[in-house]
Amino acid sequence: MVEAIYDALGAALTRWTMGGAAAPVAPPAWATLIGDDPGEAELRLLALSGQFLGVLVTPAPLEGLQPLPDVPVLAMPALPEAQRPLARRILRTLRDTGSRRDLLRFLAARGWTLHPGDWMPAATDEDVPDVYAPWRDWAEGSAIVRPTTAEAPTEQNWDDYWPAARSAALTALRRRDPAAATALLAAKLAGESAEVRLRLLGLLATRLSDADRPFLESLAADRAPKVKALAAALLARLGHGAAVGEEAAELAGFFELQTKGLIRRTRTVAARPMKTPAQRSRRQALFEAVDLTGFARALDGTPEELIALWPWGEDRQADQALVGMAERSGSDALVAALHDLLLGQATVDVTAMLTLVPRLDAAQRSAFALRVLRAGGGTFQMALALTGGEGALDGLIDTTAGAALLGALKAEDAAKRADLNAELHSLGLIALRGAARDALDRLARAGLLAADPRLDMLRLNAALEDGEIR
Amino acid sequence: MAIDLQAIERLATDQPSLKAAAGLAKPAKWSGIGASQDGALIWGECAGSGANPYRVMADLRDLGNKCTCPSRKFPCKHVLALLWLKAEAIMAFGAADTPDWVSDWLGRRRTGSAAARPAAAGAPAAAKDVRAALEVEPEAPEDPKAAARREAASAKRLEETERAILDALDALEQWIGDQLRLGLGAFIDDATARCRRIGARLVDGKAAMLAGRVDELPARLLALPSGDRARGAVVELGKLVLLARAFRAAPRDADIRRAVASAESREAVLGDPAALRLTATWEVLAEQVQTRRDGLVSQTTWLLNLGASGPRFAMLVDFFPASAGKRGSVFTPGDQFSGELVFYPGRTPLRALLLSRSPVESSAPDWPAPEPGLAETLSAPLLAEPWTIDVPILLPGGRVAVDATGRAWWRAAEGDTVLPVAGATEGLIRGTDLTRAAAIWSSGRLEILAAQTPWGRLGAHG
Repeated sequence: MVEAIYDALGAALTRWTMGGAAAPVAPPAWATLIGDDPGEAELRLLALSGQFLGVLVTPAPLEGLQPLPDVPVLAMPALPEAQRPLARRILRTLRDTGSRRDLLRFLAARGWTLHPGDWMPAATDEDVPDVYAPWRDWAEGSAIVRPTTAEAPTEQNWDDYWPAARSAALTALRRRDPAAATALLAAKLAGESAEVRLRLLGLLATRLSDADRPFLESLAADRAPKVKALAAALLARLGHGAAVGEEAAELAGFFELQTKGLIRRTRTVAARPMKTPAQRSRRQALFEAVDLTGFARALDGTPEELIALWPWGEDRQADQALVGMAERSGSDALVAALHDLLLGQATVDVTAMLTLVPRLDAAQRSAFALRVLRAGGGTFQMALALTGGEGALDGLIDTTAGAALLGALKAEDAAKRADLNAELHSLGLIALRGAARDALDRLARAGLLAADPRLDMLRLNAALEDGEIR
Repeated sequence: MAIDLQAIERLATDQPSLKAAAGLAKPAKWSGIGASQDGALIWGECAGSGANPYRVMADLRDLGNKCTCPSRKFPCKHVLALLWLKAEAIMAFGAADTPDWVSDWLGRRRTGSAAARPAAAGAPAAAKDVRAALEVEPEAPEDPKAAARREAASAKRLEETERAILDALDALEQWIGDQLRLGLGAFIDDATARCRRIGARLVDGKAAMLAGRVDELPARLLALPSGDRARGAVVELGKLVLLARAFRAAPRDADIRRAVASAESREAVLGDPAALRLTATWEVLAEQVQTRRDGLVSQTTWLLNLGASGPRFAMLVDFFPASAGKRGSVFTPGDQFSGELVFYPGRTPLRALLLSRSPVESSAPDWPAPEPGLAETLSAPLLAEPWTIDVPILLPGGRVAVDATGRAWWRAAEGDTVLPVAGATEGLIRGTDLTRAAAIWSSGRLEILAAQTPWGRLGAHG
């Protein structure tokens, strides 16, 4: 009966969709119910059809209904229930992926992840901590079940991995056994897309050594210019930069070696005056293309001599460009020397140091961040940019930046409100748990209410114990 | 931090505000009273004219304040009453963790020169008088003739309204017939404009609720996959015919009148002895805020009854003009509380008013077991009241699955029931077992409000 009515309704629906009377093709079972009056019959048929379709007919899925695999459990626990509301509130205020990355890094450094009910990454969120790799892979291929592997990546199981998990596993392998990671990349890299090749090749920056040289040299023939450039930069870090080419010579032409002083004559590098913006632009482009060894050789010196003779502070743009060149292609020893040099300068060049951050270890970044905070003009936002949300700095509220923050809160200038909010949030991301508690005490004494949402990040920090890594 | 009645007097905009506040400064009107640990912030929830209570908060340092009521007076009578409760110690403000809604307000408010201005700088105190506000005016004895006149006028008004509605329903049926004649394909393409026109006619005919429903019809249709829209239009328009016929048959029926004309006032529901009152433990499932085409914002709070008896669900609905700006949420999904609700009278009590609310004493019970017979549970409300749009339902164990086109479906863990899921489901809800799920069955699809999972309680959006 139901099927017969349903079948008959097909014709009625077609007539109504096109426009026209459907009563003549109504299901025979309803003939007496809808009556003979044409207008009334249409309305009655509509009421009956609507009720029939709304109550008795439920859409059925197409073929291939696929339950999705479980969201994987991560290596770190999700935040405790007590802290989830606070974390959700903080998440709602974060407007860009960079801010979210800082929060994720803070939580991961403390041993926690966000709860998947509060946030999950997209497959393309490449800058989230590696601990989220299984969720990224789940988001990418959640409709396809693929066995997860707990083994180290090898040529044999390469294809068993989803991309994010493979990248995370390779990072761990590189830290543990650099030669094995190089050998694996040498065998498998060619089969990946240029974007993936570039990303995986970047892993070699960790524990880079002469053992990587043959593989890096083999990439001189890679199809992708960016991959070739990265391989060349890594070789340059090992002291095997390209010979002095035209570009290095052209860049050197923007500078000259001078001798200063009458009694103790010292050599120095001096920038030649530039006459047009086009020249400045060309010089900048050359800084980004040439490696440090090549540039030093073009000036008849070594990278170490170049750093020592450089007229730091006279041309900030050139300073930062040189630091960028060193970050890209300088050896570890040279980067360490450059870090010491920048740290020892009377005036802190935060921009230059930020350029160097990818090559610095956590201790170096923390030391520089504290230096910035203790110097006049330093802010917690700068310290956050230098260290990321690692929650590893102590004594923060006692720094010059802390005093400036307390002073600004007392003055409560509406125009600086957004800046104050950002300072308090940054402070919460970079402080050790004890430092966060100290800061909360001092801020309360300065008149901030404990419930003030600007203190949310500090409150989360102060409340969060170390998680247990599974 | 102390506050006295003189400060409240200065803060009030006029004497009527003070008078109204005096009436509200009584424990029976309030729930959830509290103060921050440092004593600077106080808050409470005050029963107003809507289904949801108003959330009221104040900063005692500078008497900055906020209330979720739609009053244009600042401060409103609820804020003054809260301060009054504090000043006269009528209720105890126990120190508690500051609720999120107070913290959110604190973060948004500007404590610059204007807000921090001491209360003394407000309107002159002489124009207002707290003592006068407390005086009780004697009620004038009612004139029996005047009462009879009023009743007669009321009956006449009711009759005129019914006549106007019946005319409007005739126009609606005529319009539905036209849509069928001109083709539902064209109707779907032009639904917004066409529904707007007949909606305006229904408003003129005093069928306000029906007008709102017709205005929202295109949105419900467009939310369906394009292949389902013709069928959806038949269902929607068929329900309108059934509702129109039901009104003609029983114009005084409370359920039908509420669906066509307007809902009863709060006072009418409270005064109706047939209205079901129920004290139970409730969980806030979700809050839905929707800006409607008629310029109103509807705020619907879905509650799940965790007890063994009474209606399984309750729905608190308030409307306010969109021009009044964004209104703070009254509840947080997942909140559990003990509360007394009074339901609007009807065959299937669902819409309700919140009368009182207090924290859950002991650990709250788990979600109850769903009714056996899912198909009957889905269809019963539609058979009792065929014009019903939203049917809340508690689903047994199941899981979301996707078909080859990426559309989501809920599949029961036991048996072969598969139901389509409305909208995009993202994240965890697609990747875990749903041991229980609360959902709205509407337009032949499920809108999942909340679920219990191995990862804990999950809201609709993550």
